[in-house]
Amino acid sequence: MKSLTKLGFAALLAATALTPMGAAAANVELTYLTHWAPDTVALLEKAAAAYSEKNPDVAISVRAVPFGDLLTTIRSGGSGGGTTIASIYDLWLPELVRDGMVAPAPEAVAGEVGSAWPAGIAAAASVNKVTYGIPNEVDLYALNYNKTMFEKAGIGAPPATWDEFEKDAAKLTDPAAGTQGFGLINSWAAGVVHPFASLLASNGGTLIADGKPQLDSPEALQTFQLYETMVKNGWSVPAMGTADANTTGPFLDNFVSGKTGMIIMANWWESALKAGLGDKFDTIGTAPIPVGPSGTESHSISYSWMTVVNAHATDAEQKAAWDFLAWLDGPDSGKNGASAMADILQSMGILPSRSSDVAAFKSALSRPFLEGYVSQLANAKAFPIVLGGQEFTESLQQTIEQLEYGQISAADAAANAQADAESILTRAAN
Amino acid sequence: MTRAQKKPVWMMLTPAVGLIGVFVVVPMLLTIWLSFQHWSTQTGFETAKFIGLRNFEDLFSRISVGRDFRGAYFNTAVYTGISVVVILPLSVLLGLLVYQRRAPGGTFLRTVLFSTYMVPMIAVALVWSKLYSPTEGPINQILSWVGISPLTWLSAPDTALISIVILNIWQQIGYFTVLAVAGLTQIPQTLYEAARVDGANPLEEFFGVTLPLLRRTLLFSAVIAVINAVQVFEPVVLITQGGPAGSTNVLTYFIRRVGIERAQGGLGSAMAVMLMLSLIVVIVAIFAFARERKEDA
Repeated sequence: MKSLTKLGFAALLAATALTPMGAAAANVELTYLTHWAPDTVALLEKAAAAYSEKNPDVAISVRAVPFGDLLTTIRSGGSGGGTTIASIYDLWLPELVRDGMVAPAPEAVAGEVGSAWPAGIAAAASVNKVTYGIPNEVDLYALNYNKTMFEKAGIGAPPATWDEFEKDAAKLTDPAAGTQGFGLINSWAAGVVHPFASLLASNGGTLIADGKPQLDSPEALQTFQLYETMVKNGWSVPAMGTADANTTGPFLDNFVSGKTGMIIMANWWESALKAGLGDKFDTIGTAPIPVGPSGTESHSISYSWMTVVNAHATDAEQKAAWDFLAWLDGPDSGKNGASAMADILQSMGILPSRSSDVAAFKSALSRPFLEGYVSQLANAKAFPIVLGGQEFTESLQQTIEQLEYGQISAADAAANAQADAESILTRAAN
Repeated sequence: MTRAQKKPVWMMLTPAVGLIGVFVVVPMLLTIWLSFQHWSTQTGFETAKFIGLRNFEDLFSRISVGRDFRGAYFNTAVYTGISVVVILPLSVLLGLLVYQRRAPGGTFLRTVLFSTYMVPMIAVALVWSKLYSPTEGPINQILSWVGISPLTWLSAPDTALISIVILNIWQQIGYFTVLAVAGLTQIPQTLYEAARVDGANPLEEFFGVTLPLLRRTLLFSAVIAVINAVQVFEPVVLITQGGPAGSTNVLTYFIRRVGIERAQGGLGSAMAVMLMLSLIVVIVAIFAFARERKEDA
């Protein structure tokens, strides 16, 4: 009995000695959901490991899904047992807030977002003036063009107006060689709608104003007509523009293989273009969106991404998650005054949105491909963030694709898009 | 039967009936109930608000969700119809080929055919999306060698759905061939011998003996093929995302988009109810057709 007591005492001592260490190894386990590619996920894991080294009571694991599955995954796991942290597209925020899926940021974090980010980007991370996320990247659209194809076609400079845009598209098109002047995307909602919205903005129009859709405006009709003209003349071949769930596919293949002269695409595609083009990446130029007949200057469409915390996570998890995110997006986690998040984003050619990150990466952001985007940031118009925004985007995508494939006319597209948008936004608001 | 004998029967049935009730009947009833509610899938059932037939009215209205639903319904019907119409005769034909005892390599052929059914859809999707690539895909390159112009495959609304159907047939045909072979093994050889004695040629043997005696197998195959086809989801979500221009938007994918991505649980449930009702009607029609043919025979 005595020996048993000794044994029990020894076990108790051992347990007492080990418990703090065991608990310290991972008192809180966080999961971070993203749609990034494996190389980028590895960088995020490295940053998470660096945080865990300083905060041994927090373990962070990263989970990646294709972009097409990101929202579904967030929603599927949102009511419990889901990921603690998720990277989201700003358009999704109002509905995630409405459904009580994302937690409001603590006061200190909200204050930091308000002071360290540009007002427009900070506003996109808020609903009814309550901050729900920490912004990280900002994306905008520009015209990407193949310099080699331009040279062969005898075009000296990228088009500045729609008139030049159409003429250049005609020169770059050669059905016998299988080339098209301007590549239109299909089968990917944002990939279809954002270039359209950029052209519309550069034609003096907008998708939504004061909560009301503006798709039957004269400016919108002209934008639909531009698409119609491109397709009818064979300058855009819709069948060459299909994208897959990973936002690659024939659309990307045709551009990197020199079969598409121009596309309108976002800055974050730099890494995909580099992967596809290799040594020929320098043959890709970036220029402002051509200005339409009703527009006065080039405007891009911008949108932002942010990280949010699951409202159904425990208090301890939420606290640890905000602390980690504040560090990840803060000025002390990266190199030369940049955040660790900015380092990760820059590896993909993505523009960081925190003001101190933009300053820290000033020289890197002036490289030829990105410079064309950075220069347009001041004039960019934010994609409208409204309740029902995702459905609105998918509906407009359908209409644009029907126009691209000749199923409806430009006039019908404008009328249908307006009617659908009015119905969607009204229903979402009620 | 005495009272004492009845009690154990009731007790033995309870676990099975209880499990079916909990895992089959309750979810179905819940889906039907939700189809009459306005409900976000991200909130508890207590937040559901009764709205009568509004969700069903929306599905048949002119608004975009109604048009998309009807488009998805049509696409699913086309996908199912073509899949079943091609798979059933082809499986019998291939079954006859690989069942021939005198033909060498029958077992090997059966294994090869069945292997496509075992390949995970993610692998199939990756490979076929590249095979179908309009400019760089091997299929179009092969077609060009024989002077056929490149086809648009997944890249145009006219051809995208049929491309997914071809992929489905390729993957499923092995399974249905095995079913056909299983049916063929049940036909007594004596019937063929009797037919030959009566002077029947191979074609008459097929229509007079094989096909009538394969009826049960074909009925089973038809029901399974319809159910499999109606539930098509993976190739759409992995390859086309419902596009281009909604041409591959099928019901399961659209229900997921509406019910989960947009969190419109009531509307998604109404679509699921419509799908369930349609499936019941089709399956009942197949059985009625089979019964009628049996009575005619």
